[in-house]
Amino acid sequence: MRCLRLSLLILFCGTQWLFSQAPTEVFLDSTEVENLNEVIISATRTKRQLASVPLPTQLISAKAIAAANSIRLNDILEEQTGLLMVPDYGGVEGLQMQGLDSQYNLILIDGVPLIGRSAGTLDLSRVTVGNIKQIEIVKGPSSSLYGNEALAGVVNIITQTPKTGFGGRFYYRGGTFSSNDLSTELSYKKDKLGLYAFVNRFSNEGYDLVDSDDVNTVEPFHNYTFNTKINYEFSEKVKLFVSGRLYRQVQDNVASASYDGESQIDEWNFHSKLELKFNESWDSQFEFYATTYKAEEFLNDTAGNLFSYSDFKQRFLRPEFRTVFKPNAQNSFIAGVGVQFESLQRTDFFGYPKFNSSYLYSQYEYTKNDEFNLILGLRFDRHNEYTSQLSPKAAARYKFNDKLAVKGSVSYGFKTPDFRQLYFDFTNATVGYTVLGYNAVTTLIPELEANGDIASLLVPLSVFEGNLKPERSIGYNFGIDLGIDPKLKINLNLFRNEISNLIDTRVIARKTNGQNVFSYYNVNEIYTQGLEFNASLKFNKNTVLTTGYQLLYAKDKKAVQAFKNGEVFARLTPTSPAFALSKKDYFGLLNRSRHMLNFKLSYHMQKWNLDSNIRATYRSKFGLYDNNGNGYLDAYDTFVSGYSIFDFAINKTIFEHYKLGFGMDNFLDFNDPQNISNIAGRIVYGNVTINF
Amino acid sequence: MKSYNTYKTLIFLSIFVFTSCNDDEGSPLPAKQYSQITNLHAPMTGGQGQEPSSGSYTKFDFATASVTTSDTDWDIAFRATTIIVNGGTSTGDVDEPERNGNAAAYIKNLPFSEVTSVVVSDFTQDSLEGLAIPTGSGNGWYTYTGPPEHIILPIPGKTLVIRTRDFKYAKIEILSYYKDLDDSVASNARYYNFNYLYNANENETTF
Repeated sequence: MRCLRLSLLILFCGTQWLFSQAPTEVFLDSTEVENLNEVIISATRTKRQLASVPLPTQLISAKAIAAANSIRLNDILEEQTGLLMVPDYGGVEGLQMQGLDSQYNLILIDGVPLIGRSAGTLDLSRVTVGNIKQIEIVKGPSSSLYGNEALAGVVNIITQTPKTGFGGRFYYRGGTFSSNDLSTELSYKKDKLGLYAFVNRFSNEGYDLVDSDDVNTVEPFHNYTFNTKINYEFSEKVKLFVSGRLYRQVQDNVASASYDGESQIDEWNFHSKLELKFNESWDSQFEFYATTYKAEEFLNDTAGNLFSYSDFKQRFLRPEFRTVFKPNAQNSFIAGVGVQFESLQRTDFFGYPKFNSSYLYSQYEYTKNDEFNLILGLRFDRHNEYTSQLSPKAAARYKFNDKLAVKGSVSYGFKTPDFRQLYFDFTNATVGYTVLGYNAVTTLIPELEANGDIASLLVPLSVFEGNLKPERSIGYNFGIDLGIDPKLKINLNLFRNEISNLIDTRVIARKTNGQNVFSYYNVNEIYTQGLEFNASLKFNKNTVLTTGYQLLYAKDKKAVQAFKNGEVFARLTPTSPAFALSKKDYFGLLNRSRHMLNFKLSYHMQKWNLDSNIRATYRSKFGLYDNNGNGYLDAYDTFVSGYSIFDFAINKTIFEHYKLGFGMDNFLDFNDPQNISNIAGRIVYGNVTINF
Repeated sequence: MKSYNTYKTLIFLSIFVFTSCNDDEGSPLPAKQYSQITNLHAPMTGGQGQEPSSGSYTKFDFATASVTTSDTDWDIAFRATTIIVNGGTSTGDVDEPERNGNAAAYIKNLPFSEVTSVVVSDFTQDSLEGLAIPTGSGNGWYTYTGPPEHIILPIPGKTLVIRTRDFKYAKIEILSYYKDLDDSVASNARYYNFNYLYNANENETTF
């Protein structure tokens, strides 16, 4: 009974579990019990034991982040199986998961979404890991719980919460490229009140890997993150949580020798939650979330006159109410209802678009003695700009014995057309082409025609009177958990995502300047499929090897058909005759590697209280663009060669409260600035942590 | 083995017969002329930014197998990535030559050597609605790689089938858009390299 009560209490606390954990516990050797204690919230929106969740999940603890001496979210994610950080325009890095791009992943902080995708990619180097308690990754579509954007998966960043008593932490890491990362954390909790404050400053002098141009690969920048939290327990039954987060980044903006300026990002989030526990089986949460993301940049010419300016200001507001009903140990229900308001002001935009949506979701869970677990979920989203979405999910796990369990899930995910795809009004100043959002076409094409800019219209305007449809996917996952013996654990997951209505651009009109007008339309059907393998082998109490592998096929269905039909050709040399390619010559989508591999060997030297690890990631060849003109990535294109990155880190704890660290990321100094702009080369660093 | 020998003999015989035929006719020009054109310069002004693209087209005449400045005796013409035919109506383009012939074109998705005959009903001419050889990446004869390379690549297996101004037929495979096939320098762009086969016999639809 006490156990049940405890679990209910933790359930009730939502994201605030583990509050009683001592601050230093993170650095103790707890690998032996770790697997039993790992809990995950994101998979079901209630606290669940990681091992029993019937979905493919990954969990990164604060301890693992500290062992790798990571400072930004992208640093730690890129070391995980099947996850890849892909550089995009403007130096941002987005996450690729199960072969799907950053725009199809939902990134949450304490269960609420991060916004600010100026070109579709959400830059994860924006997020410091200094206040992260745990990172939860749920792969496969999760729109049945999270709605929009949860098409490939969800990454939920769980941040630290107040711990009993007064405590704090100071952290500094300095390294190559004059990189300085400084964090301070204060925490107080007594009786009913819990307070938490965190501040981080991260700066980097930038670096340049290509000497031939006037711009740096990364321009100098500095940024600040502030986070404060208040927890207050009015009574055993009523609890309040309030959190605020501020982020500001300032970076040099250099376009060429004659144009330079600055770019600035300002973001704030306000997140509050009132938790009510009515009795043993009922509890409810009122959640309110508001956030704004603003990016501005300008360029001046050499005389100091303004040459260009652009801005992007997105607002997002969401109240949500949810209730958990748990009549007994076997059954639990969760239901939620919410509304969402979103708006965007942006340079090169048609009007001041606003999105309003409302949603309703429910989920049923059945658990029988840790042997069988079933999840059935359904969510309905209604939106002012696109068709309503119904997102179901079914998942089950069956444990045959302590050594073998199988799990499988089928789920639906969707991503609505974003503001850009609907309202863009952009004309390239140097080349002269125009890109129009779907909803802007019927107004702006007649305007362009009136100006005499249109030579001919290729797609009739009537096509744009309907709605652009959300991109959608159905994901299938099937996994096996093998505990061959306590020292060797293996996990295997097969996945397939079928994506339809994928939005692409096409030419809709020819301009009198010889260029084209583009707009968006639903066209492609793609699939990504493969397998993921994770294993951990514990040689002894102090030495652990973990490894992961992902096999991936990511293909466009029309392309597969075109190759099959012999409609795609290539040449061996520029002047040799063209010949037909076959289905096996089609490699797949750009920037996808067939194989990704990682290793991590950790060693704890008890005598010296020293933790060290060596980590490696490998990515097989991939193509960044079609080199032979047929429009597809095929066996006769030039590929970027596969590569490996090796890191090592060593951390020593002194007098329990102090920790010194040293390490080298990418110690073999691999870099390929032409093709992989987010790999900087070798980074040497040292760090110090003081817990008090 | 026996049948193989018979087959060989037949091939040998047929080659002999065809060869003798050609000798007997003794026409001054071979009906089918295969040729390679290198570095045909197709410059353009404007077209960057807001200003309309302009500049004269580089005109090509199949009958003389050469570039021409004639206002009438041309079949196709090039300006940057745009290829027009001497047939149809004006597209409203600045500096386009007057179309006074009966030329037309279509693109066949087959390697050059496999295009052995002409499908007369597939021909279209230039008009306000578009060009017989469409422009734009992936629409016609090329793809554009976009940033960071910004290269124009001919699509392998796209054969341009041309009706000349005077109802003769030709087929073209474009090999490169760059001077000396070197696309590493941007200034090499707008130099066409292509192979073609021209059938000088009027209305003969085979190659």
